[in-house]
Amino acid sequence: MSVGQLAAKRVPTAARRLAGHDPVVVAAVVVIAIVALMAIGGRWLAPYPPDRLHAGPVNGASSLAHLFGTDDLGRDILSRVLAGAAASVTMPVIVVLLSTTLGMSLAITAAWLGGVTRGAISRLIDVIFAIPGLVLAVLAVAMFGKGLVAPVVALSIAYIPVVARLTQSAASRELGRPYIAALRVQGVSSIAICFRHLIPALIPVVAAQATVGFGYAMLDLAAISFLGLGAQPPAADWGSMIAGGQAAILSGAPEQSLFPALLIVVTVLAVGIVGARATTWAEEKER
Amino acid sequence: MTAPVLELRGLGVGMPTAAGPRALVHDCTLEVGLGESVGLVGESGSGKTMSVRAVAGLLPEGFTTSGAIAVEGQDLASLDARGRRELRARRIGMAFQTPRAHLNALRTIGDFMTEAMVSVGGIDPDIAERRAVELLDEVGVPNPERRLRQHPAELSGGLLQRVMIASTLAMDPRLLLADEITTALDVTTQEEVMAVLGDLRRHRDLALLFITHDLALAGAVCDRVVVMQQGRTVETLQAATMRSDAQAGYTRILMSATLDTAAPASDPMPVASEPLLDVQDLQKSFRVRAARGAGHENLIAVENVSFSLPAGGSLGIVGESGSGKSTTARIICGLERADAGAIRVGGEDWSMPARSGSGRRARAKTVQMVFQDPYQSLDRRQTVRQCLAEAIRVHRPSDDRPAVTARTVELIDAVHLDPGLLDARPRALSGGQRQRVAIARALAAEPRILVLDEAVSALDVTTRVEILTLLERIRLETGVSMLMITHDLTVIRRLCDEVVVMRNGRVEERGETGAVLDDPQAQYTRLLLDSIPREGWVPQRRIPVRTTPIPTIGMERRSRRRWR
Repeated sequence: MSVGQLAAKRVPTAARRLAGHDPVVVAAVVVIAIVALMAIGGRWLAPYPPDRLHAGPVNGASSLAHLFGTDDLGRDILSRVLAGAAASVTMPVIVVLLSTTLGMSLAITAAWLGGVTRGAISRLIDVIFAIPGLVLAVLAVAMFGKGLVAPVVALSIAYIPVVARLTQSAASRELGRPYIAALRVQGVSSIAICFRHLIPALIPVVAAQATVGFGYAMLDLAAISFLGLGAQPPAADWGSMIAGGQAAILSGAPEQSLFPALLIVVTVLAVGIVGARATTWAEEKER
Repeated sequence: MTAPVLELRGLGVGMPTAAGPRALVHDCTLEVGLGESVGLVGESGSGKTMSVRAVAGLLPEGFTTSGAIAVEGQDLASLDARGRRELRARRIGMAFQTPRAHLNALRTIGDFMTEAMVSVGGIDPDIAERRAVELLDEVGVPNPERRLRQHPAELSGGLLQRVMIASTLAMDPRLLLADEITTALDVTTQEEVMAVLGDLRRHRDLALLFITHDLALAGAVCDRVVVMQQGRTVETLQAATMRSDAQAGYTRILMSATLDTAAPASDPMPVASEPLLDVQDLQKSFRVRAARGAGHENLIAVENVSFSLPAGGSLGIVGESGSGKSTTARIICGLERADAGAIRVGGEDWSMPARSGSGRRARAKTVQMVFQDPYQSLDRRQTVRQCLAEAIRVHRPSDDRPAVTARTVELIDAVHLDPGLLDARPRALSGGQRQRVAIARALAAEPRILVLDEAVSALDVTTRVEILTLLERIRLETGVSMLMITHDLTVIRRLCDEVVVMRNGRVEERGETGAVLDDPQAQYTRLLLDSIPREGWVPQRRIPVRTTPIPTIGMERRSRRRWR
């Protein structure tokens, strides 16, 4: 079975188990599915080419032809929101993946080796923790130029401490358990203990944390784009669209900022709800 | 005739499930008269704790009861919630298995002792404090005034259990419910606590309902014994004559499990004269935070311990908690590093833990270990099959799948585990089944030495007998040498040729099992033997009281913080 098939089979089952009978969680899962669909196929779902000028009236209100209205250059907002979904959703996912991988590696190294290494890693994490993510991202843009690559890398680093602290305490606890000692006495190699026993034990905790991290990353990246440091015109993500629509709000066309902002709020909320549910789920499984 | 202090008539306890309540206790009937002591005996899951919790009003949310509970002739069902609470507060005291978990770690013993007196009894705090000192004195807590200002972490388990008992006496109850109060204690401490209970009953006319899994203990300290199995009371026996009176098969099994002190009938194993494992002058100390102040102390866990185990032999190391017996086992298995001393196994120097992975694997083929708690020593995410396959592949990395499967079945067979459980996870197994898996996993390496660190002490008595029998058979069939670490002398008698008695990190006595247990030379060995409950046993308070469990030396104060 290919990875794709496996995922296709497993993800819906996991989602159904996760949602349980709580309608709020079911709704959140549905929202996430729609947003994911937009991120993957938004460009093809868009009714108009997202960059076409004068696809409709300037600062047009919502209508049947343009569901979300049009912006100051007459571009279709629905099409732009759909096209921008890819960057707006993928970039936070990358941030979460990068920070989780880096944070887990550091935490497991610290917990495993202990002693001076743990001390050094803990201090390094303290130092990173002292720098606000947004400031680091702005600094990265100043050094490496505008665009989403520099902020994504900067935020990935900035989010390491949260992941690492959580994982390190969980890993230390897990390593202290008798079954790890039992595996050592059996002669199981350290690599096998780490990858076959330790990391699977940490996944529930880390996954729950990742959903929280996604929300923060999405908001921070939107803020960076809002400041004009992220996605560069004519390309757009939801953050830069909010910024672009500011002037139109005063001229009575709030749609340009409203819809991308709504999408950010709804996505972050949905991921947060699912994350909270996943945390309780992991705790229940632990018992 | 006055009404009994406690009377249970057809008590049932139901656990709420999706499909309606499931009965955990059906038809539990017993009574406890004034000044009488009744033992409620059964294994885990027999419903003994649930029955008592129903009396104390401590059942979990949603649990239902049926039948009648009467305290001093007053049916609890006839009272309103407030009346029941009053009755329980003033008439019933309850002590639990784990006093440390039941005391708030942040409050002092004094706070704990006086709380009920002040808030329930409305007694003036100063008077309550004087009363607390009297009560602590009554249960034999030395220095009661000082204890009032101490926190639970500063007291040993035995002392805490006495504090707990003292606190239950604060309201002058007529009935004391004691739920496995000595199970977590060492045998000598158990004797102390039981002696305290005995005195209290004599002086106060206190009725006692004593819950335990240890039939011998119940028989020794109670007037009557009620045996429970799977939520039913099987039979009620007079303690004095229970050996001859017992009718139910289950009671007989429990008896043979706990009261059997006879040596095994099997012939001694042929034993080589060359030691397979030779330990010389082993030393190990740990840096621990000082009991007082900010410094560190060196805790000497193992001091000058020497012994040897011949190939095919079986050696027991016996001692109470803090005796260093487990640390010794962990050093031999490479889980701790000795400070000094030599370990030789089959002529090789094992004094230091193996450095490389291949070194660890090589040693794993010689020494394997079974841990105390089978709930903790198995990875809860692995099925039995995965767990065993992993252990097999460590030593036979080139075996193909059918070979591994065949070996897995072989191992499962060797420990008498149902092959149907191969795809079960630890959560679905009973304690005995889990320990069988742990033994099978240890056998996967075909070791020459099997180290058993309290391998049966977390198990029910009947399961314990099964596992001991299994170990006996494995030893006969494979000729593996065994190193038994235990606090239980009956286990030693059953399985070991030789025994080493340890206390506070030092060897107190050593010799052949029969000789040491039947004619102990060291005073401490005698004390251990005297502390085992048996027929006609009267628990005694021994002086000096064990208030300093572990000696520490070499106090050093350091201002420099260490990284860890």
